[in-house]
Amino acid sequence: MKLLSVKDLQVSFASRHGVVHAVRDISLDIEPGEKVGLVGESGCGKSTLGRALMRIAPITRGNVVLDGTDITSLNAYQLRPIRPKMQMVFQDPYSSINPRHTVGKTIGQPLEMAGWNSGQIKKRVFELLEQVGLPSSAALRYPHEFSGGQRQRIGIARALILKPKLLICDEPVSALDVSVRAQIINLLDDLKQELGVAYLFISHDLSVVHHFADRVLVMYLGRLVESGTTETLWRNSAHPYTRALLSATPVPDPRRRHEARREILTGELPNPLTPPAGCAFGSRCKYVQERCRREPPALRSLQHGHHVACHFDLFNQNNAA
Amino acid sequence: MQKPIYSSAFMRRLLRNHGACCGLIVLICVSGAALFAPLVYPGDPLRIVAMAEVWPGYDARYPLGTDALGRDIAAMIMHGARASLGIGVFAALTATLIGVTTGAVAAYFGGWVDEVVMRGVELFQTIPALIFLLTIVSILGPTLLNITLAIGFVSWNGLARLTRAEFLSLRERDFVAACHTIGMGNLRIIVNEILPNALPPVIVLSSLTIAGAILYESALSFLGLGDPNVASWGRLIGEGRAVIRTSWFVSAIPGIAVMMTVLSLNLVGDGLNDALNPKLRDR
Repeated sequence: MKLLSVKDLQVSFASRHGVVHAVRDISLDIEPGEKVGLVGESGCGKSTLGRALMRIAPITRGNVVLDGTDITSLNAYQLRPIRPKMQMVFQDPYSSINPRHTVGKTIGQPLEMAGWNSGQIKKRVFELLEQVGLPSSAALRYPHEFSGGQRQRIGIARALILKPKLLICDEPVSALDVSVRAQIINLLDDLKQELGVAYLFISHDLSVVHHFADRVLVMYLGRLVESGTTETLWRNSAHPYTRALLSATPVPDPRRRHEARREILTGELPNPLTPPAGCAFGSRCKYVQERCRREPPALRSLQHGHHVACHFDLFNQNNAA
Repeated sequence: MQKPIYSSAFMRRLLRNHGACCGLIVLICVSGAALFAPLVYPGDPLRIVAMAEVWPGYDARYPLGTDALGRDIAAMIMHGARASLGIGVFAALTATLIGVTTGAVAAYFGGWVDEVVMRGVELFQTIPALIFLLTIVSILGPTLLNITLAIGFVSWNGLARLTRAEFLSLRERDFVAACHTIGMGNLRIIVNEILPNALPPVIVLSSLTIAGAILYESALSFLGLGDPNVASWGRLIGEGRAVIRTSWFVSAIPGIAVMMTVLSLNLVGDGLNDALNPKLRDR
């Protein structure tokens, strides 16, 4: 059974200038224990999608089924028993932890809400601190005494204390120093082995996603433009946007750097208030044709588990070449 | 409100500020006077004890002299500290309670709640506070409780706006989102999660509100609308008017007391602001 199943999800916000559809018609599935990456540039709606799944952003259409329960229209009270199954790790470890609570209180808070008694909470908090690699003395200290990486460990401990089946990580390492990133990624990897938790890993850092995820979803202006296993996407990406993203990833070997053909995207992400007609990527695509401006491409299947929203077959061209 | 681990550093920062230090000393003296008034001058301070208009320093039993009726000014000043400080503190507490509640609710829920509440706040702002205060007190009657509540009721505007501003920025922080993801209720998020973070600037403004409240009370008493059974500083100033040409000290002494207390509260408020506001630290 699917752990998470999302159908035609739409998230809209009313703004002063009109309604913004931050997420449009997104469908995705996550299997138990799967590590799914979600990539896209800033402002494409990745974080909003994550928040909508957590039911902290307004869902205007579509539905979200978590572990067999449709959570789309549950109210705050009905959601309470569901919450422990899905938790979130936030991007900014400074704003995501209340500076006025001790670390132990922050980590134990989900259990407090779930009605555990303080003795049990204390025991479990110490377990979690050990699991995320923090000393047990941390429980009585305040967040300002910790570094960014340590704070992110606190955030991960808080998210894991309820033993969730799905962890939504909203850019968990992008606010951290490069040297600390690897530690956090490895921690998440280890925790997956230990706990069998599934991840939706939101990031704009492709090298991190490549390392971490089994399967990758690519988002552009609120829509999914391509999805497939990490290997497929890195070898045979079929959407021009995915290609551009991939070619923008720095090559660590200086001797091979000039071999990589850079496809530099021009222009900015279009204004989501007035998305272009037809294909949303049409305004920046170098393969753009008349047809792209008329009809928006639907997400279609190329081969097993590889989907793309493009009228043309870059995939086959690629294979032929 | 400060966590124990902050407090020693916090006190150090506060005491490094000379103005705040002086203010604190004056406030401690005034509070001491208020506290020990019944011990030093037992009985009603408003009873006539000596000849009228004895100058300060003339008679050792009446170090600050006597007023036009022959009442001991020193006794009235000490008991007046009780009234003025008490009214100031409780009026500021009332104002803080109203202001923080309305500001927090407006900002947290946003949308039409915010619109309605903030229009209400603006309505209060358009009414001159002193006139409004006189109206309330003259309708309800000049008792200590009514005066305190009325002063609180005309002083909460700024606190509501400040609390709202703090809440508006804090509610967008991810730790609030994290509380939502574990199903925490709104009341608990407001009171336990956001409020402690919003308090430092609110505490500063509250301390300044005490100063404002003391001034309001003095103005009321000066105009003769104070509680007739209470010796407050404003009342002494008002009553001293009659003899201001011959015995100006009758008005001047309570006037200096009001000035020193209000100035000290402002100095301490500024000191608190510097000590609580991390952006200004260690300048």
